[in-house]
Amino acid sequence: MKEVRVNRFPFQTLEARKRVGGFRKIILVGSGKGGVGKSFVACAIALLLSEKGYRTGILDIDIHGASVPNYLEVKPPLRSTKNGLAPKVTNGLKVMSVALLAGDNPVPMRGSEKQDLITQFLALTDWGRLDYLIVDLPPSTGDELFSALDLFAGKSSLVLVTTPSRNAIGVVSRLRRLAETEGVPVEGIVLNMAYAQVGKRNRTFPFGRIDGRVLERALDSKMIAEIPLEPKVNQGGLRAVLKGRNATSAAFRSLLERLTVTERTTG
Amino acid sequence: MNRMWDFTFSARMDVPLQSLIYGPTANSWLRMHELSVAQSITDFALSETQKQNARRVTEISVDVGELMQVDTKVLLDALNMLMSGTKLKGCKVRVRVAAASFSCRRCLSSWGMAEAKSQLGAVPEDLLVKEPDSDELPLHFLPYLYPAFIHCPRCGSSDIAVTEGEDVQIRKMVLE
Repeated sequence: MKEVRVNRFPFQTLEARKRVGGFRKIILVGSGKGGVGKSFVACAIALLLSEKGYRTGILDIDIHGASVPNYLEVKPPLRSTKNGLAPKVTNGLKVMSVALLAGDNPVPMRGSEKQDLITQFLALTDWGRLDYLIVDLPPSTGDELFSALDLFAGKSSLVLVTTPSRNAIGVVSRLRRLAETEGVPVEGIVLNMAYAQVGKRNRTFPFGRIDGRVLERALDSKMIAEIPLEPKVNQGGLRAVLKGRNATSAAFRSLLERLTVTERTTG
Repeated sequence: MNRMWDFTFSARMDVPLQSLIYGPTANSWLRMHELSVAQSITDFALSETQKQNARRVTEISVDVGELMQVDTKVLLDALNMLMSGTKLKGCKVRVRVAAASFSCRRCLSSWGMAEAKSQLGAVPEDLLVKEPDSDELPLHFLPYLYPAFIHCPRCGSSDIAVTEGEDVQIRKMVLE
């Protein structure tokens, strides 16, 4: 007879790893900087992937500033299934966010508890099999980011989101360097709020203007999309903008072509 | 205070478990979360048995954090079902409900689940998770979400920590 003392039963981590086994590809959308439109970009990519028929989910791990449910117009309550918590589904896209459980309550958490929460969250969500999981990262290069890098190791790539502002690019470069040291491939740079269209021919540059080649050198990555400011997102919603014939929709659709090119070439 | 039950699948005991539960309850297989907790315990115990090259398992001791509001009877039923037909069949399962304990980083006071319960009663209806025959608090699924709903009952601060009773732990396994 032998007695085994279990120091740590990694209940949630084991479950989370099982879930990750059901995903073909994971795209982390981050910048390290707040207010550059990470959630906007993440939601747009997820919606268009779903529209193209890919089985897609989006996981919002911005614990302190979750905004994915607002962009995608989904609300609590959640329900449970025999396999865990059922994500909200909108146009075939599976959506999960802390805000769907905490509502408008602030979630003041520290350090490792955030990592435990993210692991629990992934472990408990009944994603089923997915072609793509899009992960909306929070600002900063702290606990949440390391949770994501650890949980999704080997399956994830990173989309860097920035604005033309020098401050933003400086912060994003830190995330770029971290991706390098942690071995996460970078898909490329999305330059958000790149310009605002004025009439049919003129553009203004409210957040500054940067040459694409300079940006690529600064972040050591290819620029894969240039997204204009689109005031209609706040009026009619993201979904309506993506359905319309406009520069934002066209830029995101072109971005999608670049992100899914591997799918087509590998068949 | 921690409460403990012994349960042997071959000689099942009836225990007054309802006193444990402070939320809406449902003693049925429809409580899905208990099933997934039981699945994880079973998977881990089987992999450990293989790792240790053991013939069978005679005893498993599990701590279930009070914050998770797990229905212990449903958990034991689920374990019974999942362990039958495996090397875990017939093993004695000891389940202990570990009392939840909180502390405030601002005023340094500490309190237990009884005081937290009154705050959890104020969770809005639309944040309750719909199960097939009941509604559950979000903490049943995500215990680490507690700072969204529980505050210091003395000073009102949200800067609190759970010091015990928030998770599931396997404490001990006896192998042959």
